[in-house]
Amino acid sequence: MTGVEDISHIAHTHTVQNQRLREIDDLNREWLACPHCDELWQRPRLNPGQRARCGRCHSVILTNKRRSTENTMALMTASLILNIVAVTFPFLKMEKSGLSNEISVLDAISVLWVNGLPGLAIGCAAFVLVFPLARIILLLHLGMSVQKQQDTGRKHAYMFRLAQILEPWTMAEIFMIGVIVSLVKVGKLADLSIGPAFWAMFSLMILLSLGALAVCRDTFWQDIRRAS
Amino acid sequence: MTTARENGWAVCRACRSLSDKPGEKCAVCGSRIHLRRPKSLQWVWAFWIAGVIAYIPGNLLPIMITESIAGDKPATIISGILILFNQGSYLISGVIFFASIFVPVSKFIIIAWLALSIQRGWAISEHRRHFAHEVVEFIGRWSMIDVFVVAALAALIQLGALMSIRPGAGVDAFAISVILTMFSAMSLDPRMIWDRRGDNRRSNNAEF
Repeated sequence: MTGVEDISHIAHTHTVQNQRLREIDDLNREWLACPHCDELWQRPRLNPGQRARCGRCHSVILTNKRRSTENTMALMTASLILNIVAVTFPFLKMEKSGLSNEISVLDAISVLWVNGLPGLAIGCAAFVLVFPLARIILLLHLGMSVQKQQDTGRKHAYMFRLAQILEPWTMAEIFMIGVIVSLVKVGKLADLSIGPAFWAMFSLMILLSLGALAVCRDTFWQDIRRAS
Repeated sequence: MTTARENGWAVCRACRSLSDKPGEKCAVCGSRIHLRRPKSLQWVWAFWIAGVIAYIPGNLLPIMITESIAGDKPATIISGILILFNQGSYLISGVIFFASIFVPVSKFIIIAWLALSIQRGWAISEHRRHFAHEVVEFIGRWSMIDVFVVAALAALIQLGALMSIRPGAGVDAFAISVILTMFSAMSLDPRMIWDRRGDNRRSNNAEF
């Protein structure tokens, strides 16, 4: 008896939620507000490849990128493979007076943990390894669900939000510039050679930047709104 | 020309869906929708002050210590730049100067200027302030370069008694300062730059 009541209650909340989603979708079919300056516009219909700018603050407020899902997934698949190479293979090797030291990115982080400040190790691990990897996996998973036309519900909305929040905190490209600077600093002191992971990381930095450009968030959120 | 707020509507900052009931959770993505970010300027100032405080030890304490047979040699951000400059690596010392001194200091000034202009209702071109905010949000992360330089050097130069490099406490303080300033810039609701005169005093006290 109670079981039946519980289920009907859940079903009721579900319809209320869908009802609200439909209302929001109706509103958004007609109107578009600039997230930067709050100006209200009639929502333009964009052809693939077009984008709309706000007439008040000139920010891009609507995009309709071509083959966004396919491009994002291709770039993220490549990034995932390169990420494994970049992290585990030897990154740099240095020699001085017969002593040598070869490190991978993982070694570098563990050296920091052991010898230096653990805060620096955790920070580097988060910004260079964990956040980029998390973003790659989230975007791949979302791309696959969109392609299989699975129910893109609340869970996917949370995942995409997380991927967007992570974007400014993925610092693979800044790490690479930092490494290049440190190479110049060390170059005068010792013999240096570059390992395969260096080039993997270098390509990863380019692919991640292209991946960020390939994501079309307006299309994604529109799909979520229409999911009801 | 109307804004969403003048219509009683608000746009979700996370998914950009328009909602006619500000204050509720976004039906699309689940984040709370506000007319303007609540207490936006208080958050900006809180992160700003904390970031400025952390920037001081970040510059005064050594960011790395070179240990060799000759003894320990500590280096701060500024002394590192000077050493590189004197060695003739003008480009690299320029990059470090730009990322570690120029960007953080101009960020502090620009964020304070934006927050004050909103608080005091200064009549400065919205386009100029909007552009300044975009630049600050885009460039802030690049200050982390010096942190990664120290991390790479400390990981690589581990040759025992011959020579090794150890990160100093300054690098933690500097990294924390960069992160706090990123939060400060993110806390600023850009819609407030564009609000018409007198609107903000209302929205600061309003419920949403």
